[in-house]
Amino acid sequence: MTDKDRTNKNGSSRDYYLRAEGITKVYSNGTVALKEADLEIHSGEIIGLLGENGAGKTTFTKILSGLLPPTKGRVISPHGPVRFKSPREALSFGIGMVYQHFALVGTFNAAENVALSHERPFSPIQLTATKKKLEQLMEESGLRVPLDVPVEKLAVGEQQRVEILKVLSRDVDLLILDEPTSVLTPLEVDELFALLRKLKGAGKSIILITHKLKEVGSVTDRVVVLRHGEMVGDVPTAQASTEQLAQLMVGKALDEAGNAVELQDKGLPTAKRERANVRTEQPVLVVEGLTVKGNTGEIAVENLSFEVYGGEIFGVAGVEGNGQSELVEALTGLRSAEKGKASINGKNILGLDPREIYTMGVAHIPEDRWRLGLVLPFTLAENAILGVQRWDEFRGPMSFLRWGKVNQHVRELMKRFEIRAAGPNAPAKSLSGGNQQKLIVGRELAKDPHIVVASQPTRGLDIGAAQYIRDLLVEMRNKGRAILLVSADLDEVLALSDRIAIMYEGEFMTIASPKDLDRETIGMLMGGVAVKEGAV
Amino acid sequence: MSRDMTETVPQKEKLVHRTLTGLNPAIESLLAAAVGLIIGAILMLVWGYNPWKAYAALLQGAYGDAYGWASSAARGVPLILTALTFSICVRAGMFNIGAEGQVYMGAVAAVAVGYFTLPAGLHLIVGLIFAMIAGAIWSLGPAILRLTRGVNEVISTIMFNWIARFLTFYMVAFVLVDPLRGEKTISIPVSARFPVLIRGTDLSWSIFAAVAFAIVIYFVLWHTVIGYEVRAAGLNPSAARYGGIKSKRTMLMAFVLGGLGAGLAGATIVMGNPPTYAIISGMPQLMNAGFDGMAVAMVGRNHPIGILIAALFFGGLTAGGRTMQFTAGVPLEMVHVVEGVIVLTMAIPELIRVFRVMRSSWDRLMSVLRRRSA
Repeated sequence: MTDKDRTNKNGSSRDYYLRAEGITKVYSNGTVALKEADLEIHSGEIIGLLGENGAGKTTFTKILSGLLPPTKGRVISPHGPVRFKSPREALSFGIGMVYQHFALVGTFNAAENVALSHERPFSPIQLTATKKKLEQLMEESGLRVPLDVPVEKLAVGEQQRVEILKVLSRDVDLLILDEPTSVLTPLEVDELFALLRKLKGAGKSIILITHKLKEVGSVTDRVVVLRHGEMVGDVPTAQASTEQLAQLMVGKALDEAGNAVELQDKGLPTAKRERANVRTEQPVLVVEGLTVKGNTGEIAVENLSFEVYGGEIFGVAGVEGNGQSELVEALTGLRSAEKGKASINGKNILGLDPREIYTMGVAHIPEDRWRLGLVLPFTLAENAILGVQRWDEFRGPMSFLRWGKVNQHVRELMKRFEIRAAGPNAPAKSLSGGNQQKLIVGRELAKDPHIVVASQPTRGLDIGAAQYIRDLLVEMRNKGRAILLVSADLDEVLALSDRIAIMYEGEFMTIASPKDLDRETIGMLMGGVAVKEGAV
Repeated sequence: MSRDMTETVPQKEKLVHRTLTGLNPAIESLLAAAVGLIIGAILMLVWGYNPWKAYAALLQGAYGDAYGWASSAARGVPLILTALTFSICVRAGMFNIGAEGQVYMGAVAAVAVGYFTLPAGLHLIVGLIFAMIAGAIWSLGPAILRLTRGVNEVISTIMFNWIARFLTFYMVAFVLVDPLRGEKTISIPVSARFPVLIRGTDLSWSIFAAVAFAIVIYFVLWHTVIGYEVRAAGLNPSAARYGGIKSKRTMLMAFVLGGLGAGLAGATIVMGNPPTYAIISGMPQLMNAGFDGMAVAMVGRNHPIGILIAALFFGGLTAGGRTMQFTAGVPLEMVHVVEGVIVLTMAIPELIRVFRVMRSSWDRLMSVLRRRSA
């Protein structure tokens, strides 16, 4: 209503709600997350913001919602430039964001959670007022949640509705939703979309961050595609084909040659792709009908079956959050499986703890080196034996640590894997990201494993370190070891893998040789669109 | 994208580190001690005492002569052990404040050996083992609650402290009571006492038990695989799990080791502290041994060596405090004030973070005012 006044007042030439001009964001570690992004947002439209992981979607919306300041560029409203110092300021201007990870107090009910998000003080009087307002809001929007139940007792979809109510109760004009459907059941998705259409009808603007191509088609008016921090497309949904969007999202593949050039630019080992066939007769890892639940109890990996042979790199591509992490955790003993079988060289690994799995010849390069891979305050030497601390090499009688052996081991690792550090006793947190990752990779490969499970092995690394780690993986493969590579970096998976699986919502859309997959197909498979007429 | 966000976090941490936490831990502790003494002096001035005279007396009483050193050390002995109890659990990632109750149980078990006779020496050793086991058993309650039901150890250990306290009151008054003197328990026989180390002082051989325990803990934590696993699980439980470490086992380990230490502390108090060798009703000797140990652990930076030094310092404050009261007329309570300020000062690195927040809100306020005036 207020925004209608605004647009009327300002005439047709300035008929927009908010405009982002030349937004650039460089993080303090030098990562360029956004390059000169422009976007005009009108009242009463739903914009789909599409892109791979790391394309800059979240950064862009965080800047709009006041969580991050832009390095360059400005956001202007018809009344002049706006600059938000905090989400609170953006909210009072009329911009609200619903994050992928909810910010709710579990023991509070919906009304209390909404009241908490408003200006202080948090009083019983305010609570009654909030409750009244919420009831009215629920009436208007058709968005229903139980108000008196602690939100931790609500289903995920209902919790999300509480989050949306929280934002709507502040009378926002622009609602930003970060991958809202990733936690919802199909029915809940339909309900959410119905709600979004209703809000649009009431004149609100909505930005929907997603990587699912189908959703874009079903609810948005306009699609904006981000790729490596650049806005590469801004098209009305009606005029955009799924293929076109997929292409924009993963980058254009002109032809086979053009593809290769692009890969070389990234410094990927294209030469090593022509490798001797060292694939073993028997598979090292056999997975049959594996079903794994995620943190919130949803099915994250569903009835998955595949084999990984010695001497091959089996790459799992896909947008993050489609069950890759849960798959890796189930195979490395960090998460229990619901159903199915998994074995290494014929011996079952499900239900074993990580240490037992390591002794069977599994190395695990975890996706998060700070949370899982390293104990940051520990020294290099201490981190170099994490997971193998009970091996006879390092454990003497009466459980005494053989520090001499440990130090010798870490010196060998430092030399062999070019880890630059002050010495064995430098704390791991003093190392650069690349050297930290080399320490983990070195530690794992030094186990001389039958299979290496590498999850996002080069994420956040500079090109040199990333390339070095990729070379190590190829080297292991050429030695006849099996490698399960899970990565959100599509170029990496394409360049390294002998076989590729595209994972979407807990299932493999396909398993194929990288030669048989073009980027458009991959983009569509990653977005959950099944490819017909034998394109694969 | 959220990845990029987290990438910037350690740099922020580094900033904080460079300001104060980056200081050598030893310097940090010394600084805290100095601040504690200075604030104590200011308070003395306010209340009309002469701080110079008071501190001179305190120093003289604590470290002025062999007698002073001996009584400072004697007061430090149980603190070494209870500080170790606390710091082992901190290293394992827990906040165990149950040393107090475990000390009581250890003391009760130690007194119980008075009911039978054994050769000298052996009697002492049996008493120590009794006390250590009693302390460990008392620590099992909170440990089991934490491991099986997820009960927060802070709450359960506080509750167990109270149970131990009233149980000990009961034991002293009705079970272990000296039939001839109702205000205390039976005395521990000479065969089960720590011999006095320096004649004329109350420093006994118990100091060797405490130091030996500290050394054992040092070796367990830094030179065994078990200690490695305890520390890893304490610093990063997820990475520990990835490394095949069972954090339930490391937690139990820390609780039990801590219980052994606290039980031993109880034993050193009743078996190594002339002249009573018994628990007096109201437990004046036992009271706060566990809580003071937490302060010692903080100042000693949760490291066995640091704890030895910190315990000597805190023991000195108590020993010298009496001289201070005697010579300078400053009440003994002033010593507790100094101790309290030291513990608060140890939290300053945390405060720095608070200052940063205050600073940014101040900046925001100023910019609003500037905008108004413009």
